[in-house]
Amino acid sequence: MEVVLFYIAASIALTTSILVITRTTASHALIYLIVSLLAVAVIFYLLGAPFAAALEVVIYAGAIMVLFLFVVMMLNLGPSQVAQERRWLEPRMWIGPSILTLILFFEMVYILAGTPALTSGVAVSAKEVGERLFTTYLLGVELAGFLLLAALVGSYHLGRRYMRARREEIG
Amino acid sequence: MIKQDFVALAPYLAVAGGIVLLMLLVSFWRSVRVMLTMTVVVLLVSLGLVGVGIGNPPHLISGFLLIDGYAALFNALFIIAAIVTALLAYGYMRGRGGEQEEFYLLLVLATLGAMTMAAAHHFAAVLLGLEILSISLYVLIGYSEEGHPPLEAALKYLVLSGVASTTMLFGMALIYNATGTLVFSELGSTDFAVPRDELYYLAGQGLLFAGIAFKLSLVPFHMWTPDVYQGAPAPVTGFLATVSKGAVFAFVLRYALITDVLAIPVMSTVLLVFAVLSMLGGNLLALLQNNVKRLLAYSSIAHIGYLLIALLAVGVLADSLIAVEASIVYLVGYFLMTLAAFGVVTVLSSSSMEVDAESIDAYTGLFWRRPLCAVIMTTALLSLTGIPLTVGFVAKFYLIATGAEGGMWLLLWALVVGSAIAVYYYMRVIFVMVQKGGGDSYTHPSVKVEGMAVLVVIGLSLILFGVYPSPLIDFVRSSIGIAGG
Repeated sequence: MEVVLFYIAASIALTTSILVITRTTASHALIYLIVSLLAVAVIFYLLGAPFAAALEVVIYAGAIMVLFLFVVMMLNLGPSQVAQERRWLEPRMWIGPSILTLILFFEMVYILAGTPALTSGVAVSAKEVGERLFTTYLLGVELAGFLLLAALVGSYHLGRRYMRARREEIG
Repeated sequence: MIKQDFVALAPYLAVAGGIVLLMLLVSFWRSVRVMLTMTVVVLLVSLGLVGVGIGNPPHLISGFLLIDGYAALFNALFIIAAIVTALLAYGYMRGRGGEQEEFYLLLVLATLGAMTMAAAHHFAAVLLGLEILSISLYVLIGYSEEGHPPLEAALKYLVLSGVASTTMLFGMALIYNATGTLVFSELGSTDFAVPRDELYYLAGQGLLFAGIAFKLSLVPFHMWTPDVYQGAPAPVTGFLATVSKGAVFAFVLRYALITDVLAIPVMSTVLLVFAVLSMLGGNLLALLQNNVKRLLAYSSIAHIGYLLIALLAVGVLADSLIAVEASIVYLVGYFLMTLAAFGVVTVLSSSSMEVDAESIDAYTGLFWRRPLCAVIMTTALLSLTGIPLTVGFVAKFYLIATGAEGGMWLLLWALVVGSAIAVYYYMRVIFVMVQKGGGDSYTHPSVKVEGMAVLVVIGLSLILFGVYPSPLIDFVRSSIGIAGG
């Protein structure tokens, strides 16, 4: 049964990923991307990695949504673009992603209702992940901190140029 | 973490602490001069700690980083290259508006990434090091606040390098799928040995090496190199050509040594094809270049092609330490001559100019206008050609000796043919420089003292190690543990 669950989630992930790269409007692609990430989260859960599954939903699906919102906010939309936006988000658009998400939802309910169904047979709890991260992989965590610092300093520097150009444009 | 871990990690801790210090400094007190001084101090402290720890026995930290003489040698190279880049960049960016302090912070971060790769003993460490290095480089390439070329180059590098990193990551995932481990020593040990023809394992190695070939800009994956090298600010180009490639090579060499991946016939054949194509392709494409930065970009492609001889020798020679010795000696030479060549381009350019001094016209008659620059450039180019009495000759001699010992005649023929082609375009630059007249329309920025001082030191070491290489060779041999060094 687990195998069937896996194949359903995997085929949803593949289908939506293909849809992401073939959609012509960014918002449609993004919605499919979120569904794809949810499907991957289900796969992680089936593999016995509930922590990774939770991160997938919280960070990827959640953070990407927020990032998208920021981008839309920074684009300074005029009235014509608002109308266009409305056209993109008409109800018909929601049918495909909703069906796929519903399938994933039923899968999740099935998994949570029954006994733990795992393809790998071993579940790794969040506690074990945490213990590993702060013992064996401590150096990796530290290095990841520096990776984020590099990204932060870099985006500050590149973004400043853009902000200054904008300021000069305005006044 | 125990005491020995901290002792072994001292150079890393110095650089990491230095990064935090520099970051705080930049937040409270903006001064380019102070920033440069602190950067150089931090890097020198780290270099000193590398030197102190070089004789210590190899130390493995939770299977993640392996700190030994090999890592120390590469770390020393990266730190020296970073110091040179910082000093050159100071003069290059002088008189320019905007914020320059972050440049040094990113430079030190990139060095930390490279140092991590040199000691990596675990795929996670490789990836983290590679990404710290690459993300810092994206910004360094697009650092100038004016003009389109830097941003175009940065974007190209961002997209292509991102794809390459993803390819490598996917390869690592497949290797993990086939073996169940990410630690190099376990990948190499027989306990974890998988049937070597297992499809996942081979596909993983193939993807991993495709990503590596991109990062090293080997010929089928070299398309990005000239554009990025041309668009990046000259000091960053020098850093990109040396540290970025050196770090990836340090990882590949260690990986090949420990896991013995080159014993798989398919892998060594693919790398052999890459090497031959890079040696011939890089040199042929450089022939028609009128842009010195592009010319040096193609020449660096060819040089990494030569270096693959030493990498491939790991799979052939019984005593693979000879191949390691040849690689490191070659890389020392490559670092010095590449930094010297890009250094001359840097001191002749300024970030306030529209483009760097990259057109060959800018070098016409340089010998009569800026004799010292021209002499250093000539030395660097002669060394790149591999003329005796320069370090380039010693380096190439080592490669040929290693190749001959392994009986890799095809590669050696490619090296000879490639070097013969290379003479033409290196000499063309030298001839242009000694031509009388011309270049009057070209105004060079004023002389930069610290940049010239660094260049003179590198130029002298090019000759010194060429005439009297035994201290260098002895040092390399004793560090990597060849007896009787």
